[in-house]
Amino acid sequence: MSFTRMMEGNEAAAYGAKLSRAEVIPAYPITPQTELISTIATMIANGEMKAQYIKVEGEHTAMAASIGASAAGARVFTASSSQGIVYMEEALWMPPGMRLPIVMCMVNRAIAPIGGLRPDHNDSLLQRDTGWIQLYCESSQEVLDTIIQAYKVGEDKRIYLPVAVCYDGYFVSATATPTTVPDQKEVDEFLPPYKHEMYSLMPESFKIREFPMNIAKARYEVQKATQRAKDVFERVDKDYAKRFGRRYDGLLEEYECDGAEGVLMTMGSMTGTARDVVDEMRVEGKKIGLIKMRGFRPFPTEEMRELARKYHVIGVVDRNTSYGSAGGGIVAMEVARALYSLDDRPLLLNFHVGLGGSDVTMRQIRYMADKVLEAHDKGKVEQEVDWVELVDLGEVM
Amino acid sequence: METAKIFDEYYKKSLFQGGTTCCPGCGGPTFWRMALESLGPNTIIYGDGPCAGCAIRNIKLPTFSIHFSFVADGSTGIVAALAAKDRHDVTVVSSGGDGAIGDISFGKVSAAAERNENMIQVCVDNEAYMNTGIQKSGLTPFGAWTTTTPLGKEAPKKRIPMIIAQHSVPYVATVSVAFPRDLKAKFAKAMGMKGFKYIHTVMPCPTGWRFDPAKSVEVVRLGVETWAWPLWEVENGVLKLTMKPKQKPIEDYLKAQARFRQLSKEQIEFIQHDIDAVRQKLLDNEGKNIIT
Amino acid sequence: MSKVVRAFRPVVDNNVCVRCYNCQTYCPEGTVMVKSKEEGTIYDYRFCTGCGVCANECPVEAIKMVREP
Repeated sequence: MSFTRMMEGNEAAAYGAKLSRAEVIPAYPITPQTELISTIATMIANGEMKAQYIKVEGEHTAMAASIGASAAGARVFTASSSQGIVYMEEALWMPPGMRLPIVMCMVNRAIAPIGGLRPDHNDSLLQRDTGWIQLYCESSQEVLDTIIQAYKVGEDKRIYLPVAVCYDGYFVSATATPTTVPDQKEVDEFLPPYKHEMYSLMPESFKIREFPMNIAKARYEVQKATQRAKDVFERVDKDYAKRFGRRYDGLLEEYECDGAEGVLMTMGSMTGTARDVVDEMRVEGKKIGLIKMRGFRPFPTEEMRELARKYHVIGVVDRNTSYGSAGGGIVAMEVARALYSLDDRPLLLNFHVGLGGSDVTMRQIRYMADKVLEAHDKGKVEQEVDWVELVDLGEVM
Repeated sequence: METAKIFDEYYKKSLFQGGTTCCPGCGGPTFWRMALESLGPNTIIYGDGPCAGCAIRNIKLPTFSIHFSFVADGSTGIVAALAAKDRHDVTVVSSGGDGAIGDISFGKVSAAAERNENMIQVCVDNEAYMNTGIQKSGLTPFGAWTTTTPLGKEAPKKRIPMIIAQHSVPYVATVSVAFPRDLKAKFAKAMGMKGFKYIHTVMPCPTGWRFDPAKSVEVVRLGVETWAWPLWEVENGVLKLTMKPKQKPIEDYLKAQARFRQLSKEQIEFIQHDIDAVRQKLLDNEGKNIIT
Repeated sequence: MSKVVRAFRPVVDNNVCVRCYNCQTYCPEGTVMVKSKEEGTIYDYRFCTGCGVCANECPVEAIKMVREP
């Protein structure tokens, strides 16, 4: 039976794994993911979830066990953050190349040093070259829904890629918001059991994915699969909306963008705060819009170009750092590349904020939105990269 | 060709395709051919450890591998998937070399033992990182030449089998390809148990140990006869020596391999002394529960 | 499987062979087989590496390692 109650992101993720009928869950605790795996352990212990929960001794092992289990035919779920994700880096490169559709929650947390337990996006963005699909969630509800959708997309015969469902530690993982948990039978109708066409380790039916000898060819196959994922994702999104009544508008969502002179682009939990600020500013007559980046991989290049044709100033907010980069944060650089070939390029501003998980305040968002509108009025960008937290904005809120 | 057909059938039945890319005289294929006689066709081999890879490639069973830093991890996942599918008839064998199990995957194997994962963990021990060109590992014996210990290894060999035994797992055993009946019996015993079973084999390496490939089996036989490589098993904590040969001097074993050529008389005495002490301890503790 | 290049090849004298199965047991590649008394002990020279373990383990020296031409 479907039910609705206040739920933290981690608990919602546990429900996502349960409804998806994940069969093997190798996991190692790390703040801020711990409640996710302890909730799963409780669900298994009281019989409401049937899964093999492997209490591994480290994240490096967690991902390797995930690979073995997925190849052996089990639907796998795992989760980690920050140091744990970096520790399993060696193993993380394997599933995309091996075409194993593991679903993993990356509960974003800053990477040490100059980090801590609170969230920023370096840990998941670091994986952008591996071939993992990456989706960013703003609320507990979105986490739950995205996990179920992730299996549907990842296990699609044309895809067979692993999916990272990313959400901010604390701000999403430990913040309770109203969440509807769908009915198991309805999820079963949406998500059939896992069966991999390329792998079987059972002695009576052994088959294993043959790697083409040509490396470029093999890699190109993975690249093509990531591109096909966009299409599959749109369809899964629509299907999910029809069955469960919730839509997430694919990889990019436009919020209050009608007639916008400029838009801010955010990823993760700060989107929620940004929605409120944009509402306030719209009431004041300021023509600012908000773009939520939900999918970072595959990068929504076509969709970005569509946006650039409509909005002439884009302010990309990066909750990450890339020391010594060509210019600014990771998302901004990808946006710049996506838009480079356009004849009429929009003005591009880049903001670093919320680094190490410091609160992204309404005042900071307003500051960034004002900068975007200022660039629109002046017709040029004063400061390409703005480290917002180093600007004294007076009061905190 | 008549002979070809006879052999092709034989390879199919024995689950091992003749003609590996292993060095001539390598103990790897020998070991697997013997083990497979016990293991049978309802087995999945999860294996890595580069030298072992050459032999595992020729096994006619489902095989899977990641890297040698993941020994016991991938197989943990496979075991869990089998449990999730209610398949209790398949044996999972995880294989790694000494470099894998002694060094880079040491924690992994220990953890799998602690979790009592239902698999047979095999260590194919050729006493160095051989596939990358003979570098020292934690399981290289004292005094052995390798390219990274040209004057002889300074530290003693890590005693992995006993360490694993201390994890209170159902079964730990040492085997040698020079004693195939003992080897096959131990595999058969392991297959009949649930939980984490560990079988450690010494793997003669003509290339790395520096001896004539023809002497491959003879060298490891000497290893057992000199008590450099005692054959024992620990079943539910109780130690049993499955072979108690009349002890030959360790010098016989050391002189048979050029990797020990630079050992001084004092060093050989030191090694003999160490072997005598271990032999005595094993004999004293026979039949006793050795978990402390 | 690539063609094997050997320096020596084992040759068995079936009159001396006592069919103890040592060679078959200890051959790394499984390329020697003890057949019936009439057929003798046979080799799969497609895959035999010429390591010489069989000759070394034979208790009656029935196997000789002969230089490849």
